[in-house]
Amino acid sequence: MSSLRYLFFTQLKNQVKELLHRPSQLVSAILVVALLGFMLLGGSAPVNAEELLPPSYLSAMVLAFYALMFFMVAHNGLASGASFYTMADVSLLFSSPISNRRVLLYGLVRQMGTSVLLGFFLIFQYSWLHNLFGLSIGGLLVILLGYALIIFCAQLTSMALYSLSAGDDGRKALAKKIYWGCVALSVLAVAAPLLLSEGSWLERLIDAANSPLTLLIPAGGWAANAVGGFVGQNLPTAAGGLILLLLFIAALLLLIIKTDADFYEDVLQATEASHSAITAKKEGKMQDVLPKNIKVGKTGLGRGKGADAFYYKHKLENRRAKIFLFDGMSLIMGGCLLLMSLFIREAGAAILFALATYFQFFTMMTGRWVKELTLPYVYMAPQPAFRKLLAICREQVRTIAAEAVVLMVLVGLIVGAEPWVIAAMVVARIGYGLLYIAGNILAERVLGGMVNKILLFTLYFLILLVVAAPGIILGIVAGIFTGTAAGLLVTFLWNLLAAAVIGFACKDILNCAELNNK
Amino acid sequence: MITVSHVTKRYGKVTANNDISFTVGDGRIAVLLGPNGAGKSTIIKCITGLLRFQGEIAIDHFGNKTLDAKRRLGYVPEMPALYDLLTVSEHLEFIARAYELPDWEAGAQKLLERFELADKADKLGKELSKGMQQKVSICCALLPKPRAIIFDEPMVGLDPHAIKELKEVFQELRADGCSVLISTHMLDSVEDFWDTAHIMMNGSFAATKQNGEDGDSLEKLFFDITEGKAVEA
Repeated sequence: MSSLRYLFFTQLKNQVKELLHRPSQLVSAILVVALLGFMLLGGSAPVNAEELLPPSYLSAMVLAFYALMFFMVAHNGLASGASFYTMADVSLLFSSPISNRRVLLYGLVRQMGTSVLLGFFLIFQYSWLHNLFGLSIGGLLVILLGYALIIFCAQLTSMALYSLSAGDDGRKALAKKIYWGCVALSVLAVAAPLLLSEGSWLERLIDAANSPLTLLIPAGGWAANAVGGFVGQNLPTAAGGLILLLLFIAALLLLIIKTDADFYEDVLQATEASHSAITAKKEGKMQDVLPKNIKVGKTGLGRGKGADAFYYKHKLENRRAKIFLFDGMSLIMGGCLLLMSLFIREAGAAILFALATYFQFFTMMTGRWVKELTLPYVYMAPQPAFRKLLAICREQVRTIAAEAVVLMVLVGLIVGAEPWVIAAMVVARIGYGLLYIAGNILAERVLGGMVNKILLFTLYFLILLVVAAPGIILGIVAGIFTGTAAGLLVTFLWNLLAAAVIGFACKDILNCAELNNK
Repeated sequence: MITVSHVTKRYGKVTANNDISFTVGDGRIAVLLGPNGAGKSTIIKCITGLLRFQGEIAIDHFGNKTLDAKRRLGYVPEMPALYDLLTVSEHLEFIARAYELPDWEAGAQKLLERFELADKADKLGKELSKGMQQKVSICCALLPKPRAIIFDEPMVGLDPHAIKELKEVFQELRADGCSVLISTHMLDSVEDFWDTAHIMMNGSFAATKQNGEDGDSLEKLFFDITEGKAVEA
């Protein structure tokens, strides 16, 4: 067996063995599979074909998602490049007498697997995609595969851009021009038919996103056409998109191999950067997603004594990280929600609130307090544990409240909800935000030592589902009998109660860091 | 004073610390020695209250998880843990605020100068080298003037000047009546001023020696015990 095949399969085998040797992880893995099965089967309830949105809406969303992901990931190539490798590969593989093309192939195969795993979160979107568009499980898998291809392709593009431009300012400028030229072409491919046609702007946008001109959008457009073709059983379109995408991948590979046979140096910096991030995580030091150039500005916390010092420190850190109330994830999710509200405004306030609550879940895992748990200061500071817990969560509560007001008022206005319904939406969203924080604390308490992030994420989701379920049921019942606003307020009361009980039960969480002793 | 009584720490079926008891008296410097994986960092994390354990640990007679104990205890972790988005001086301000220290500014400035950080006061945590981060971590631990302090591999990554300063700090802390516990592999670095040496192997104390007890150097003591035990095992 060749050394690379040995390395690949031995690592795979050891991962499985590791799972089998840890019963808790095995049970969690089974739970995850069961939950996924439940989501896929439970979300497959029959839908009324007349109430479905046209497939062109779904194609437009897929195009926007793929194109955005492609350009965001590929952009790394202009700065630090991307790497398929670990530091162990650098020290053991790069220096070994194995052809660098075979090493490249090894990296590509492994990366493809990682790309599929990265698309895991898409499976959780099945239920609403099925209900809105009548998407089948097969259709979802095609979208997932398309996503994996896009991420893979974007990583490869990033690597090619970096290989092409590293260490040469002229080439770097050219790579930038090519990148931004492609972005401009993509915008033009959608904007031109949008501006030249007539009708409502939404219909024009959907038509533009489904026009053949989208084939001009590199990678994202091709993958979206391929996926749209497969889902809509339009094989010529599917084949066209897929062929263009595969040709692009082949061209990138050729470019990397031919222009720079010695790509090791190019991936070294990116590998080191990703290695230091992984090492930092292993050492319990969670890294911030920071802007490239941080402006220090005014120094000093200025306020806060005792546990409050943590809150003012968070405010200072947010200012430097350029996070003003909303972080990047919240902005993306908020944008998606507003777009969806425009698409399906007829669905009404309650449905859109449910969708907003679902999106909110994905923005709540990244609060600054979670990072605080990975450093010793919060445990060592001589302040009561519960007070410290409240202080480190305060920044996120502030964000939740501001976000609830901005988003729910906008969504309420788009769907034409009554003022008191909008007010109830704001209050209920704050309630869910508090419940998510409490669920997060509970998950840290119960699952803090778990290393597998996918399992952790799924179990966290499960815990929240169990805690929120009574409130949802009570809210629906109250909503049916007394109206949407009352239903929302009932969920708020339940969530407030649940959050308070969980918070109090976990009040000693900061007395001991063991839960994070990863 | 640091008092550790019958502390056992298990991770599942693995026993990292097995029934450990020792005391670091006021104005004493104890060193914790042992090969990799002996359980040194685990007992340190138990003392600092970062891990759950069976047994009892007290700082100046206060249970180690009480606020009174936390107020009295300083800790320099093995890996410096700084906030990326706080400057050096803001780390000290943050500690002063979290510990509610009165009139801390002069003490903070003195520490920064001593560890050659004064000109880096406005540098962000993420911009510092590992050695610099270690110096900030040491300053953060010293600022509250703890009555007991634990250093986990404090010399790693430090430049010669900082090592010299840190050695002086150890002795000043002892003179002030502070209980100092140092875990290190760099035996030379503590040879001149240790009072008690605890040598750990396989989660237990293999030996405890007082300085001058049999006239041997720390290095000889260490190898006699660890290699002797290894042969016996």
